[in-house]
Amino acid sequence: MEGTAMIRLNGIEVRFGDFTALKDINIHVEEGQFYTFLGPSGCGKTTTLRTITGFIEPAAGTVMVKGKDITHVPVERRNIGMVFQNYALFPTMSVYENIAFGMRVKKVNKTDIDRRVKEMAQKVDLTEQQLTRKVAELSGGQQQRVAIARALVNNPEIICLDEPLSNLDAKLRVQLREELKEMQAKFGITTVYVTHDQEEALTLSDCIAVFNKGFIEQIGTPNEIYSQSKTEFVCNFIGDINKLAPATVSGIAAQTGHSLNPEAATYVRLERIHVNDPQTQGRAAFQAKIVGAEYFGLYIKYQMEMQGQTLKCIDKNDGRQYLKKGDPVKVTIDPNDLMVY
Amino acid sequence: MQAIKVPLKTRIARMTPGQIVLFCIMAAIFLWFIFACMILPILNLLKTVFFEGGSLSLDAFQKLLKSKKAMKALRNSFILAPTLSITVGLVGISLVLITEYFDIKGAKILRLGYMTTLIYGGVTLVSGYKFIYSNTGVLTNLMASVFPNMNRNWFTGFWAVLFVMTFSCTSNHMIFLRNAMRSVDYQTVEAARNMGASQWYILRRVVLPVLLPSLFAVTILTFITGLCAMSAPLLVGGTDFQTINPMIKQFADMTTTSAKSIAATLSLVLGLATMILLAVMTAIERRGHYMSVSKVKTKIIKQKINNPVANVLVHIYAYALFVIYVVPVVLIVLFSFSDSAHIQLRRLDFSTFSLRNYGELLSKTTAYKPFLVSIIYSALAAVIVGALVIVACRYIQKRRNSASATALEYSLMLPWLLPSTMIALSLMLAFNQPRWYMFNQPLIATLQLLLIGYVIIKLPFTMRMTKAAFFGLDNALEDAARNMGAGGLYTFRRVIFPVLLPTVMAIAALNFNGLLTDYDMSAFLHHPANPTLGVKIKSLTEEMGNSSDGVALTFVYAVLMMIISAVVLYLVYGRGGRDNIKE
Repeated sequence: MEGTAMIRLNGIEVRFGDFTALKDINIHVEEGQFYTFLGPSGCGKTTTLRTITGFIEPAAGTVMVKGKDITHVPVERRNIGMVFQNYALFPTMSVYENIAFGMRVKKVNKTDIDRRVKEMAQKVDLTEQQLTRKVAELSGGQQQRVAIARALVNNPEIICLDEPLSNLDAKLRVQLREELKEMQAKFGITTVYVTHDQEEALTLSDCIAVFNKGFIEQIGTPNEIYSQSKTEFVCNFIGDINKLAPATVSGIAAQTGHSLNPEAATYVRLERIHVNDPQTQGRAAFQAKIVGAEYFGLYIKYQMEMQGQTLKCIDKNDGRQYLKKGDPVKVTIDPNDLMVY
Repeated sequence: MQAIKVPLKTRIARMTPGQIVLFCIMAAIFLWFIFACMILPILNLLKTVFFEGGSLSLDAFQKLLKSKKAMKALRNSFILAPTLSITVGLVGISLVLITEYFDIKGAKILRLGYMTTLIYGGVTLVSGYKFIYSNTGVLTNLMASVFPNMNRNWFTGFWAVLFVMTFSCTSNHMIFLRNAMRSVDYQTVEAARNMGASQWYILRRVVLPVLLPSLFAVTILTFITGLCAMSAPLLVGGTDFQTINPMIKQFADMTTTSAKSIAATLSLVLGLATMILLAVMTAIERRGHYMSVSKVKTKIIKQKINNPVANVLVHIYAYALFVIYVVPVVLIVLFSFSDSAHIQLRRLDFSTFSLRNYGELLSKTTAYKPFLVSIIYSALAAVIVGALVIVACRYIQKRRNSASATALEYSLMLPWLLPSTMIALSLMLAFNQPRWYMFNQPLIATLQLLLIGYVIIKLPFTMRMTKAAFFGLDNALEDAARNMGAGGLYTFRRVIFPVLLPTVMAIAALNFNGLLTDYDMSAFLHHPANPTLGVKIKSLTEEMGNSSDGVALTFVYAVLMMIISAVVLYLVYGRGGRDNIKE
């Protein structure tokens, strides 16, 4: 994506006492991008987000927004919107007062506040009646919209979201994820999003930075992260995967003429293992036996015994085949689908 | 999320001039209060004990050892405290089992009866008991009509004190132990039953062990209450059974320095004993409570006692306790409408009922003044202590882990370790002469002195509760406010304080309630022309045998205080307020 760098983190390092939470973090987020920090808990993704918003001052490195160094600008003067994990809506105030809070701090006059609150409420689909309610009376989805409205009403150039969907039930999470994406498209605002949920990251983002133990493992588009995982950590963290035994790797090399090192860690994604596929061009083929199955409806996840190892694969439940335990199958693998480390 | 330590220099550099001035004023207020009102008076008390003749000596202890009266009081206290721990423990556990565990008919009514001590305690309660059991008491009259030769003075001394205190000190059990009982996971009871355990076995091996940590804590609190007994021995202990606190008061009221040093030494002994007990309690609390591992806890279902004989006996016991708890309250309420003549005769005659006693309270200055004095003192102290503690907690929250925050917290918790008589005595001894740290103003016989005392004794409780509220706050709220551009003071005023307000109000209400009936502190520090309610009730109760005019007034006070307490408790713990305060 073309555009000016909206956020640039250069060599960020954060320490908590003796513990180094972030080491040499370099990120640049372009204008209008939906940028996600993904990683397991304790990997430094939230710390990086809080460094951008200013809650944490880095021990080294700079935070630049639109070319301006804001490393030492206090939180309250950054004007970067933020949506908190639990939304942090002020329980003693009405929805209206929550959204108006930032403008009241800036002493915006009353008529302007009123106009902007109402405009913003309309944009995020909150009715005037809901504005007078207490925040506790709202549903999870409505609360999220209030939190977003509150973060956007001051017209920030950036909005940061810290795992805003993590404390919701599965169904609502998917629904709000879609709302969030729509809203971001509508406002076109540069968005930094923190999550540990890889599905969320893959579905929402233009760009993903995968964090691990205070480092960035890989930065790339969802497809790059998923299909061309740069490190063993990334390919294991994103999606489900098979690690191939050396014998299988040698077999693939022998059948296809690809040069592969059997000693290297070699992975293949579940959906890149094909079962009883007539197309075999350029692929290695093996005999295998079904040893187990998990039925998901949309697809079926099979466990197969092949070359002395157990492999998992998924097969679209399109009615062409339904395999049972003990069925012999032909498995084909394309050497180009392998990820080798 | 851990905070990054910002160096002091940077912090000061980032403050506006206004913030610096505010900070300095606050620092000055706190330093003055902590040193002038708490630390220096306590040091002065130690000086009275150890430097009696101007040089270090243990004379004070020798005098104490030689004073038969003082030694007897000490011995009495150390007899009363453990005995009381046992009797209160037994009664307290049975109250909890009756109201929360066993299926007893009328448990709700019983619970209300057992909870009367929450609204009716201290000197008022003793006066109520005295009205029933003393030599001219209702029950004594009744018994004497059956056994004319009985000793009418039976209700005096150790047993009388033990009896009164056993039933007045179960409030902690009704709050803490009951809460612990309610948190028992019923599925553990069902599991035990499923494995073939009997009712008695389940109670002993499954239920009571869960209560044990709370039981330890309340037992130690009872022990301390026993040691620090004041109004019960004063009013029903007679000459034979006086304990440490009344003795401290007696010695402190004498004019000689040697009497004062005995008082100080006694208070020191009491203080040390309290500290040791509290240290034990803290150690037990550290070991932690049994946390239920269950995620799907089920509410306890009341157990029907299977053995029919036991069931009947337990019911009889439950209602006997109910009568003991409720009769004084009922009689006080009824007699408060009665006229003097009938109060004198201890006879209820509904035809003589009127609101005359209440009218008198409103019309006679001497009658309503103590009430007014106590209300004003309690309200002022509750507000001051609340304000001080909020400021302190905000500082502690912002500067977590800094040395100054820790020092502030410990200083404000200090009074927790000291019996209130020791604090009162230290203030009395320190400010009976001009002190530079009190701007050379002697405070004895001033109105301020008692206020200072009240603020000090309410600091630890207020601190504990307020700090819990602060730390229970969602940090994200403050982050969110700052993220939208709000400064520290604005965030506190508009976001933090409104969230805390219900809790702060609830704590203030409880403090108000507690101070309203105070006797222990005001006995030492009250202004001679403006006695508090506690002091007034105590002197009226002492005259109970001789005149009945005062008795009617005592009852009116008692009824009004019960109403106030009940309202406060309802607002704090009752419907809607339940979430504000978690003990």
